[in-house]
Amino acid sequence: MLRCDAVGKRYGAGRWVLRDVSMEVPAGDVLAVAGGNGSGKSTLLRILVGLSRPTTGSVSGRPSRIGYVPDRFTVHDRVTAISYLTHMGRIRGLSASAARARGHHLLERLSLVGGRDAPLRTLSKGNAQKVALAQALLVPPDLLVLDEPWSGLDVSAHGVLAESIDEVAVQGGSVVFTDHREAITETRARGVCTIDDGRVSLRGGRHTGSRPSTAELVLTAPPTDVTPIEVNWSALPGVTGVVQCGEEVVLRVSRERSDAVLLTALRHRWSVVSLTATADGRRSRGDARGTTR
Amino acid sequence: MIALVGYMVTVLLLSQRYLAPLLLFLGLVAVLTSSDSGPLTATYASVAGAMLPCSVWLTVTLIGLEDRAHRSIVVISAGSHLRVLLATVATAATGCLLLTAAGLVLPLMLGAHTPGLADLALGIAAQLTCACTGMAIGLVCSRLIFRRPGHALVLALVLLLAVLLGKGVSPVNIMLTRLQSASDSADVLAPTGALLAVTAGVLAAAVAVTQAVTRRKA
Repeated sequence: MLRCDAVGKRYGAGRWVLRDVSMEVPAGDVLAVAGGNGSGKSTLLRILVGLSRPTTGSVSGRPSRIGYVPDRFTVHDRVTAISYLTHMGRIRGLSASAARARGHHLLERLSLVGGRDAPLRTLSKGNAQKVALAQALLVPPDLLVLDEPWSGLDVSAHGVLAESIDEVAVQGGSVVFTDHREAITETRARGVCTIDDGRVSLRGGRHTGSRPSTAELVLTAPPTDVTPIEVNWSALPGVTGVVQCGEEVVLRVSRERSDAVLLTALRHRWSVVSLTATADGRRSRGDARGTTR
Repeated sequence: MIALVGYMVTVLLLSQRYLAPLLLFLGLVAVLTSSDSGPLTATYASVAGAMLPCSVWLTVTLIGLEDRAHRSIVVISAGSHLRVLLATVATAATGCLLLTAAGLVLPLMLGAHTPGLADLALGIAAQLTCACTGMAIGLVCSRLIFRRPGHALVLALVLLLAVLLGKGVSPVNIMLTRLQSASDSADVLAPTGALLAVTAGVLAAAVAVTQAVTRRKA
């Protein structure tokens, strides 16, 4: 399992890009790293794959087969796309014919426009990005690290990218990717890390139900003249906390029991102000906020 | 390693950036050795002198071909920084060997000589001594160490002058002065071989320095 221990990074005597980052990426997990421009996402990824050495701390458990897609795949090369992939495959230990076949397969799947035999420099940004993605998948990686892989890709390639990420995870590989758009990090990853001021905090993404998580349920009296029936909330199974805030009752319920508690509340004529899924005690999204008021 | 060298050779050939050092070398050899009928030791000393700047240029060009993102991908694919660096040196060495072959044959075609086996061996050893020194300078002055090409160029010129003019210190200077005054190749073959071994050590040291600096900067 890939593990960072108290990793810090600064270039020369500059500011600390990363400070005291500790995180784990278990096999089969998909982790997104979110953060603004220049927040240190790319630096973290370069440390994870071993291109950069951390100034403090250490990274352990790095597998040998790594696929890496850099943030910018600038191409001045006259090498053709398929020839580039064949060379990269051979460097990774494939035979020339196997590498060529795999390259053709990947480019077909990503539907490269502009020709496999066109020099890399003539490809558009999105198509160059597809070549960059293909080279990372030439050999099924144990660790796939993608730096802003969604930018520049067309919609069909988005689907293929998501499939590829899932395939790597299903085969027991870890995937780490960055994006600055929360919509993508939350739907595509099982866990989301946010970098802010060099520090990394973890929160849930897709499949948060598989983690110990709770829901925060805010109830109030209905706006109509109905008076809700008092319920002994803390006696209900799954309720871990009850706070009375004026008119509103804030309940913390374990995610497995939240539906039952919600049903009980509605039966007792309570009105739902909001229902929020939280992981590790932190709020991650507000899907149902205010919808039933 | 062979796959890495194959990739780098392909990139270098397609970029056509090898042409400038190649033409410089051929031009220098042609100018320095045409219609020359003196002893071959002095002829090959001139050729070796021409090899020095060309091997620097070739090495710097080769390393400068790929930007950071590309190099990252190659490093990840190959598994380590060091393997890529060694492949870079091997690629530059391949280029220098081809230049050596040209530098061996061209003076014989352009001038009037009767070469013996010792002359040819001396020609190879002398050129490779300069090629090793040149590759070492090229590595240290490459983009891997210097972000700014201007600084790297100035340092490369200073180092080139130093190894050419450093009397009694620089293996290149020692070899060239010895070859200029010698008349029989067989006599100077052994000391030249020893100097070749020394410069191979210099090249290894340059690889170590480059690797250390690259890792520290990464």
